[in-house]
Amino acid sequence: MHTSLAGLVPTQWPARFGDELYRYALGRVAEAATAEELVQDTFLSALEAQATFRGQASERTWLFVILKRKIVDHYRRQARSPFVPLDLTAGQQPEADFFRPADGHWRAEEFPQPWDGVGNEGRGDVVLEQVEFQQILKSCQERLSPQHLAVFVLRFVEELPAEDICQELGLSPSNYWVIVHRAKLHLRRCLEKNWFQAPAPA
Amino acid sequence: MSIPSPLFNCQQATLLLERRADEPLPAKTSAQLWAHLRLCPYCRRYSFQSLFIARQAKAAAGATVPADLPLPAALRVRLQQLMDAHGARPKEE
Repeated sequence: MHTSLAGLVPTQWPARFGDELYRYALGRVAEAATAEELVQDTFLSALEAQATFRGQASERTWLFVILKRKIVDHYRRQARSPFVPLDLTAGQQPEADFFRPADGHWRAEEFPQPWDGVGNEGRGDVVLEQVEFQQILKSCQERLSPQHLAVFVLRFVEELPAEDICQELGLSPSNYWVIVHRAKLHLRRCLEKNWFQAPAPA
Repeated sequence: MSIPSPLFNCQQATLLLERRADEPLPAKTSAQLWAHLRLCPYCRRYSFQSLFIARQAKAAAGATVPADLPLPAALRVRLQQLMDAHGARPKEE
């Protein structure tokens, strides 16, 4: 009979933790197939890494740590592929869509509009239809370039420190802030167009 | 690294808002950004909306997946086979 290492019981993982790990992954990637791969990779890596389990964390916590690492790896691979030039001359940069290159003022057609229900100065957020709003946000995220999406998800969903993101994605701090800024500019425009200015659902 | 003044530049001001979320800004830059936000309603809106997007992004990761969604059955079977096969492997001591 096999006594598993430090109380790990891999044969029970799919039944005990499979659903939860899958839902966690699915909330963080665009495709169900990617979430499936992440869960499978997590179990396979966990099998190989059983010796590193010390029993200080629960089996469940330990599997989630491995899954989170797999999610970071996934976004690193996504972000690495395309070459993204950051040092274009003013006027060619994506910022020129939003700001006048001459003086850095907002373009009139890009003036941020007030968002109904979004708290400012101490007022809380009162966005109704939370889940519908979050679906729109996710579809806006999926329109970002792979590199922008990777930075955005690692920073705001996984909540990694900026230093770690720079290291994972091979970015200098100033390039990292430029990307965060561009991602936010695109997301806020997409949300404004598709949610805050869209006709209310009947 | 010198930072261009955000005093009259919305592009620079909104970039610094993002940077400020990660690390404290130099005192002079911080004062210029504060003054810009006092004067510019658009950048003030951007600053609330940017924080709002950050809060919602975290929430959306959990909330957009139905809480009772199971692991797809085919994957469950495949994973169970992998785990069972591993368990049946004789120990190499």
